Order: sequence, then structure tokens, then C-alpha cells
Amino acid sequence: MPEYTAPIRDMEFVLFDLLHAERTWQRIPALAEVSRDLVSAVLEEGAKITAHELAPLNQIGDQQGAAWTAGAVTTPAGFQQGFRALAQGGWLGVAGDPRYGGQGLPKMLTIALEEMFYAGNTSLYLCGTLTVGAATCIANHGSDAQKTLYLEKLYAGQWTGAMALTEAHAGTDLGIMRTRAQPVADGTYHITGTKIFITYGDHDLAENCIHLVLAKLPDAPGGTRGISLFIVPKFLVGSDGALGQRNAFAAGSIEHKMGVKGSPTCVMNYDGATGYLIGEQNQGLAAMFTMMNYERLSVGIQGLGTADAALQAASRYAAERVQGRSPLGPDNSDGPADPLHVHPDVRRMLLTVRAYNEGGRAFAALVGRELDLAKYSPDADERDRAERFVGLLTPVAKAHLTDRGFECCVLAQQVFGGHGYIGEWGVEQFVRDARIAQIYEGTNGVQALDLLGRKVLRDGGATLDEFIASMRAESDTVDGLYAAAVNGAIDRLEAVTRRLVARAADDPALAGAASVDYLDLFALTAYAWLWGRMAGIAPDDAYGAAKRHTAAFFFARLLPRALALQASIDADSATVMAMSADSL
Amino acid sequence: MTDFRTPLRDMRFLLYNVLDFETHFARLQDRTLVTRDLLDPILDEAARFSETELLPLNAVGDVQGCRFIEGAVATPPGFKEAYATYVANGWSGMTGATAYGGAGLPHSMSLIVEESMTTANMAWTMYPDLSHSAMNALAAHGTEAQKQQHLTRLLSGEWTGTMCLTEPQAGSDVGLVRTRATPNADGSYAITGTKIFISAGDHDLVDNILHLVLARLPDAPAGTKGISLFIVPKKLPNPDGSNGARNGVVCSGLEEKMGIHGCATCVLNFEDAVGYLVGAEHAGMRCMFTMMNAARLGVGMQGVGLAEAAYQRSLAYARERLQMRSLTGPQNAEASADPIIVHPDVRRMLLTQKAFVEGGRALAYYAAQQADLAEYGPTEGREAAEAMLSFLTPIVKAFITESAFESVNHAVQIFGGAGYIEETGIEQFVRDARITLIYEGTTQIQALDLLGRKVMLTGGVALLVVVGEMHALAQTCAESLPRLGHELQRIAAEWASLSMAVGGRAQADLNELGAASVDYLMYSGYAVLTYFWVRMAHVAHQKLQVGNDAYLAGKIATAEFYVARLLPRAEAHKRAIEAGSGVLMDIESAAFDHS
Repeated sequence: MPEYTAPIRDMEFVLFDLLHAERTWQRIPALAEVSRDLVSAVLEEGAKITAHELAPLNQIGDQQGAAWTAGAVTTPAGFQQGFRALAQGGWLGVAGDPRYGGQGLPKMLTIALEEMFYAGNTSLYLCGTLTVGAATCIANHGSDAQKTLYLEKLYAGQWTGAMALTEAHAGTDLGIMRTRAQPVADGTYHITGTKIFITYGDHDLAENCIHLVLAKLPDAPGGTRGISLFIVPKFLVGSDGALGQRNAFAAGSIEHKMGVKGSPTCVMNYDGATGYLIGEQNQGLAAMFTMMNYERLSVGIQGLGTADAALQAASRYAAERVQGRSPLGPDNSDGPADPLHVHPDVRRMLLTVRAYNEGGRAFAALVGRELDLAKYSPDADERDRAERFVGLLTPVAKAHLTDRGFECCVLAQQVFGGHGYIGEWGVEQFVRDARIAQIYEGTNGVQALDLLGRKVLRDGGATLDEFIASMRAESDTVDGLYAAAVNGAIDRLEAVTRRLVARAADDPALAGAASVDYLDLFALTAYAWLWGRMAGIAPDDAYGAAKRHTAAFFFARLLPRALALQASIDADSATVMAMSADSL
Repeated sequence: MTDFRTPLRDMRFLLYNVLDFETHFARLQDRTLVTRDLLDPILDEAARFSETELLPLNAVGDVQGCRFIEGAVATPPGFKEAYATYVANGWSGMTGATAYGGAGLPHSMSLIVEESMTTANMAWTMYPDLSHSAMNALAAHGTEAQKQQHLTRLLSGEWTGTMCLTEPQAGSDVGLVRTRATPNADGSYAITGTKIFISAGDHDLVDNILHLVLARLPDAPAGTKGISLFIVPKKLPNPDGSNGARNGVVCSGLEEKMGIHGCATCVLNFEDAVGYLVGAEHAGMRCMFTMMNAARLGVGMQGVGLAEAAYQRSLAYARERLQMRSLTGPQNAEASADPIIVHPDVRRMLLTQKAFVEGGRALAYYAAQQADLAEYGPTEGREAAEAMLSFLTPIVKAFITESAFESVNHAVQIFGGAGYIEETGIEQFVRDARITLIYEGTTQIQALDLLGRKVMLTGGVALLVVVGEMHALAQTCAESLPRLGHELQRIAAEWASLSMAVGGRAQADLNELGAASVDYLMYSGYAVLTYFWVRMAHVAHQKLQVGNDAYLAGKIATAEFYVARLLPRAEAHKRAIEAGSGVLMDIESAAFDHS
């Protein structure tokens, strides 16, 4: 079974040396008391519970899977204890509102923690992230009474959260959903309908499960403007917080999936279930987006965490497995063969994963910083700017970290050769688990369209220009070796965007035709900028030397992918649109 | 989700219009002449068998898998009956020599028929695939007596075959094989050792299995030069040919795998099993390579088949699934949403699949022609065909499977959340396809073979032939298809010069070979697929002069898509190759352990 050690050194390097988190926190009153010592201690503790409580359950969770019997879901052996460790350790309330029992720590920190938890056990931590997401949504859109009733219990993991959006015919297209909400005289609503793909919609990890359900009021407008959001608890909650009777909904079945088998994916039948409106009528999608934006970044981190668990397993295997001789002659002449990592292509695979993971870790932390600024900065202009950057960067984090996460898991599996295909080695599970992250919380195609269509083209590239300017402004620490490459990459992104803005005016299909490649180009450019800076500030020790080598690899072997992306983006949209559907 | 049909139109387009198999078959010697009147019914019958017998067993094979019960392997329900039908239909002996009961058809025929079957059910098709590899090895290296006794049984389908190479400590590094062969007084050998990852190593489709086993004779030289090949039947034949006592080989367990659950992947323990030497002592690797080369083409074909199967399903789903409106306004105004095929990015994913599937099929069929020519073609051309086959084999094996894996993942992505659910049947293709990048030599092994042995060691002789064909075709289409012709000419010239440059650097620094190899293989794949796409577009263009046809128009549009959106990836691979080995090798081994 693969072992996993949280990469604390790299996390601290990103937080403190690359992004100077302490400086940011000190000038923000709400975060002024967050110190490096505190953060380091939290990371150490997070690493411990990951290693002791979460990771040991990962493989058994895959083998046993969640089970459904007679309307109730049971999780794999040990998941209850693992979730209790997350809950009782306060890990779900780290960034929560202190007025309701949260710890008010920065997002930058929770991103690092989430990476560990996902790396240790994606299936189990999904329950944690949904709980945190539900709490975030209630904290942002709920009434004071709702916050008082739910937040503390959610932060404490005493109750969990679930989000119920998808219906059989309404996946990406939420506007066509059919679940109904009928007003009741007492101000509550009766929710009726069937939702599918509801992660942790039912389980045995906690005493209550708080569903956030999208539904339509009678006479609601058509499409996404007619959707409202409701709190629908599994057990009704009295005004004192005590649990009452079972609400009128249940899991009708669970799906058999490719991966994340320990996480129950439920069909939920709501049969006149009691619900409470959250936020305004018909404003449900806006409220849900709070949760979805949170979850999108979180799913990106899932891609990163899984890929890092896979990298650690593959690195260890490459050091231990002996097979073939080095091209330069025996490296391990006492043994029957040399370790795999003497082979150039094995190194190429390991370095590819490493360069994407460490670049992704820095990128995710950057998004976390902008989230913290958007939430806590005392300066309104800075908050607005950070909000724009969060909008720009979130789809990139979700899609790129999960696309590369899957690619990296597949490469790690390749290092194992035939053993990578066998269940007992645990590495093929990473591939199966990682695959979902490219799909849920908005497929990566939807993320790319969000980035290019809504975040870049809609304002004529203004936000993108602002981000490019911020990259150029923060380039003084870029290693001189890579300054030209970084500048060239940024210039390329700028030029490609300008051309897209000009071309999109009279080509409505262009955004969709170019979006996925554009998102990759955006990410690769940001990674180049981050890798240039990381190489420039890497310390003079073994860790720093490895960092510089990985940077060299990134610039020489991965950044050239930008050329292919550029050519593909510049291609006419007719290359995908001209063909008649009959010819496909 | 069984909306699937064998792509007979595309197969026939390649066979009759692009690659002119009719003329090709007429040039072969010592083989039953394949005319269109023979080929067409074979294609139709293979399609019918695949769709009606094999396709219904694909999902059940995945869900139930093989079971290991009291020391024996049970295949999923229906597998045995389908195999009996396969044998009754005469498929098993199709390409065997008539002297041993075969039908004497050329190699390419089995590849084409196996494509049909593997598209419907890859796990099931592996059983006859492995028999086929064993037949090739015996036909090439067995004695007359061995052919009479064993090859006939394989061709009749009474027995199936296996290839036993891998051991726990010996995967890519076959030279580390430890299984021992001790001579017996009667001229046979006692084989002892453990083999792992043996596909079809034990099962209940037939009563007897012929294992081809790599083992070491006493005092054999170390490494690959000390390995010999042995026939080890599961049951020792009686003098009358019937199956006798169990030999000393048992299956001790099945692997729990990511995919191909219907194919038994066995641990085989040999304990003083009776074996018979095939070929010369210590020449086992060479004998094994005979079967491995054919098997590698077969794995490439598995990539084509899986990608085809997933493409068809995702295309059908894209036409049916209603979700969101077209960016240019409703296309399906009476319904709640438009079919997702209107969305540009869904089309990008469909076209990427189509480009890889149909391009891969053309490449594989072309390689299959070379396999025919190398053995049965006009004598003076055999050496050149062999060189071409050797050159193309690693590209067929590795590039087609790599691109097929990308392809099946696009298919899953088109299904969205439904793609992740087992009952939809699409994620199985990802799990099944993943093995094709690993077995029969990983992508890495193929890449070293391509660059080291097939390009550098030969001075790129076959490469230059392909490049020459590309230039000639580019000239032919310069006016009819100017953009395609231009791109073909450009990539052909660049492929040749890049190969020279990387070869030169690798002579000087041995690490350069491994550092460049996979990117070089991928580059070569994109280059050679350009050739086949332009060839197909050229033929389609000519045929379109006499009337409209959506299929033919699609060929040209896909070629345009390919050069605009996929071929640019070659540039990224080229840059990675040119970056050299330093960025890989200068880092200390210990640095990889850091986390």
C-alpha cells in the first residue's frame, strides 16, 4: 500500500518564501495574529492525522466501497473513525467564521491542508470538503438564525453537508431542472424531486446530513433565473439545535463508479421533504455558486493531492525496483540490475509529475491568497481586484490541476509497469480516483468556457490584462536563467488573448473552439512565472538544488507545449465547426 | 449503451481505396489468394460474429471477471460458448499454413478480423490473440514434429496458447529471468520457476493450453543471451493425440486488475513441468521476438478497437444528450435544450477521437501489409518490407495506444458524470485501454526500440522511405489540397532532419537516446499520421469529384482538423527532444526521494 508523507517543506516554501504570506497576514486585521509558527504547527498536525488516520483507510475504502441497503448507506470499515478524527480535530472549521466556532485561519493554509487530506484519502475527505462547502454557503447567504443553527455543528463535523444540483436530464444545464418547492403556511417549503450524483447524500459518518438543494418555486421563471436554494436536513432540527424527526427524503440507490468508491454517490428522492429557503427566492444559483466556487478550487486541490500521492509512490518504486542497466554502464554493480531512476525516461516521467505538482501547489496557494484578500482586505479596491482574480483563476485551478493531476497519475502508474495495473499496488486506484475530478463540479470543458467566455472575453480582456500586469510587476525574483522564457510566455499569452478578443467579435463559436487549449496556455504561463520565481529564490541546500533542477526541466521540456497550444488556439474555429454532424 | 457497429465503411475505404489491398494480395506468394469476393464476406461475417456474439459479453465480462476456484480459472458467463462458435466458424486457423490445417490467408487478415472482435470485446479477444502469437512462434521456429503435434491443435482451436516471459524480478529486463530448464534423459526438459502476468494462462475455454516459456538451461550465459524457449503443454498429450496427464504447471492465483477483467491474468508455477525446446538453445529471445512483433501490432490494433468503440458511443451520446443551447442560437428549438454535438468543445473532443481512430487504423493496416510482404511478398522486396515493418511496429504499438488512451478519455468526458458510472459502459474502455500502454513492452521500451534500433542502428533506412513517400504525396496534392500538402511536406522534411540530429547527439551521449526517445516516438507518430490523413483526404477528394458524400467530406475535414489542432503538438515534442538529456540526468538520484 502506498505511503504518503505531506510535503510540508514545499508547502512552507510556497507560503512563506514565494508568496510572503506573513507580510500579507500582518497588514490584514482579521489575520494579523496568524504567525509562521502557528501555521507550521497546524501543518505538522495535519500531516500527522493524514498519515495516521486517513491514508491507512484509502485502499480498504476502494476495495470495500460504500454500500446501500434498504434506503441507508454504510461507509467502508474505518471511515467513521477517520471522519471522527477530522471532525474532532477541528479540521473542518479551520477557515470558519469565529463567531460560530470556526478558527478564522486563512484560506492559504486550508489549501495546503486539503491537499494532504485528499492525498491521504480522497473518498473520505470528500465528506469533509462538502461539509466545509455547505458551511461556506450558509455563512455567506444564510440568515443569522440559520448560521446559529447550522454553522457550529458543521464546523465541528457533528453534521455534514451535501449539495444537490444534478438531475438525470440536468447536468451542465441546470436551468432545465424539475425539482419543485411548494410553499407551506409556516414559511417552510416542501421539496419534491429526484437528484442524482449526490456525493455523501447519505452515510453513517455523522448524526445529521444537511442538504443544500436547488429547486423551482411554483411560477418561477424558466431557466437558471427561476432556481432557489433550500436547506434540507436529513433530520429536522429544533430551534435549540436538537434533532427531531426524519425528513421525507432518502437515498434510492448508490452508483457503481470507476473510482472514489469509498464515497457514496447517491440518487436522492425528496418526497415533500421540509426545506428552508436560503437567500432570496430565485437567487439560488448565485448562492450555490459560492459553494461551487469553493468546491471548484477544492476539486483542483484534489487533483494535486492525488497526483502527489502517486508521485511519492512512483519515486519510491523507481528507487527500489531494479531493472535494466544505466545507458552509461552499471550504477549498482552489486545488484542484478540498476534502479529504475537511472533510466532517462523514468526521470522524465517523475520530473514531469514533480514539475506539475510543485507548480500546481504554488498556483493553488496563489488562488488562496487572492481568496483571503477578497474576503479580508481592509482596502476595498484590493478586495475588488482580488475578487476579479479569484474569478479568473478558479476555473484554471479546477481544470488544470485536475487535467494534469490525471496525466500525472497515469505517468506515475507507467513507472510501475505491469504492477501499476494491479490493484494491490494501489497506484491504479489513484488513476481511477483522479478521473472524476475532471468531470464533477463543472466539467473541465465548462471551466474553460467560463474562463475564456466569461472571465476573459466578456470584459474585452481587461481582467486578464490586469493579471498579466501583476505577473510582470512580481517578476523581480525570477531566476535570470529563465527571465527571457518567462517574459516570452507572458507576452505570448497577451498576444494570443488580443487576437482572440479581436476574432471573437464576429465568431460566436470561437470561444468554445479555443477554450480548452486557452486554459492550458494560461496555466502553463502562470506556472512558468511561478517556476521562474521559485528557481530564483530556492535555498542553497539539497531541497533548493532539486527545486532548481525541476525548474530547468519545466522550462526545457514542458513549457514548449505552449507552442502547440498557441497554434491550436490560433486555428480557425471552422476546423471544429465546419464539418456536418453526419460526417462525424 | 450497445449502439455500436463494426466500422465496415472505414475498413473498406482503407482496404480498397487507400491501401489497395486487392493488388497487394495478388502479389503475395504461398498464400491463399484473397479477392474481394472472399474478403467482403469475411469482413461481414467477422462483424456479425463480433456484434452478436462478443459485444453482449463485454460488460458482463468486466463486471463478473474471471474467478479462481479451487485451483482453476472460470471465465465469465458466455465466454466459453462464444469461443466454441469462433472455432466452429473456422476463425482460429485462418492464417495458418494449409499443411497444418490452416486456411493459408495472409497475416493482415487476422489483424483485420481481430480488430473487429477486439472492438466488440477486448478481454475475450485476448484468448485467440495469444493463440495466434503462439502459432506464429511455432510456425517460424518449431520442428516439423512440433508443428504436426502442437501447431495443428492451435490452428484447430482445440488448444489455446500463452507467452510466459515475465517473472516478479524480470519485467522490462527479461535478461533477469530465473526459470530453469534441466535436460531430461528423453530429450525433453524439466521446467521450474514462477511466471507472472500471464494472460490467458489458465481458463476453461478449452481442455489444453500450450505455454511458450522462456527459461535458462544449466550453465547458460547470463542475460538475454542465455534464454531458451520451451513448449510446455498444460496437459501432456497421449501418443494418440488426446489430452493426457496434467503437466507440472499450475495457476496459483489471478491478479485483481484495473481492467480487462474478462481476461485471466495468471501467476503460473512450473514445477518440473515437461517442456520441449523450440529453436536452438539460448536462442529463445529471438524466437520470442517473432511472436512479440506480431503481438505488438495486435496491441496497436487493440488501441484502434477500443478507441473506435468509445468514439461511436460518445458520438451517439453527443447526438442524443440535450444540454444547453448552441452559442449561435437554438438548434433544436422545440426541445428544452440542444444536443451537445452543437458545442464546439464537444466537437473538438469528437474530432480528436476520429482523427486518432481512423488515422491509427490506416497506420496499422499499412503495417499489416508490410508484415504480409516481409514473409510472402516478392522475394526482392522482402528485406525492405521487413525493415519497414520493424520501423513501424513500435510506432503502431506505442503511439496508437497512447493516442487511444487519450481518445477514450475524451469519450468519457463527453458523457460527463454519466461517464464515470459503470453501467454507462464507457469508463470500462479507459480501464481496458490503460494496459495497452504497458504490456508487450511499455511505451518506453517501444520508444528505445524505435530510436535506438530502428532508426540509429539502420541509418534510418525505412524512415527515409516513408519520408520519401510523404514528399511524393505532398507534391501530388499541392494543388488539390494545398494546406494539407504543405503541412505534409513541412513535417516530412522536419522529421528527417530531426531524426538525423537526435541520432547524432545520441551517438555522442548514450543518455540522449533515453532522454529523447518517448518524445521522438510521439513526434514520429504525429508525423506519420499526417501522412495517412493526407492520403485518405487525397483519395476522398478524388472520389468527391463524382458526387457528394458525408463520409468522404468528413475525411477531408478531419484531415484539416488534424493538421490545425493536433499536429502542432509535434513542435512541443521537438523542443523537448532538443532540450537534451542534461535536464533529466544532472539531478542526483537522491533528489527524487524528497517529498
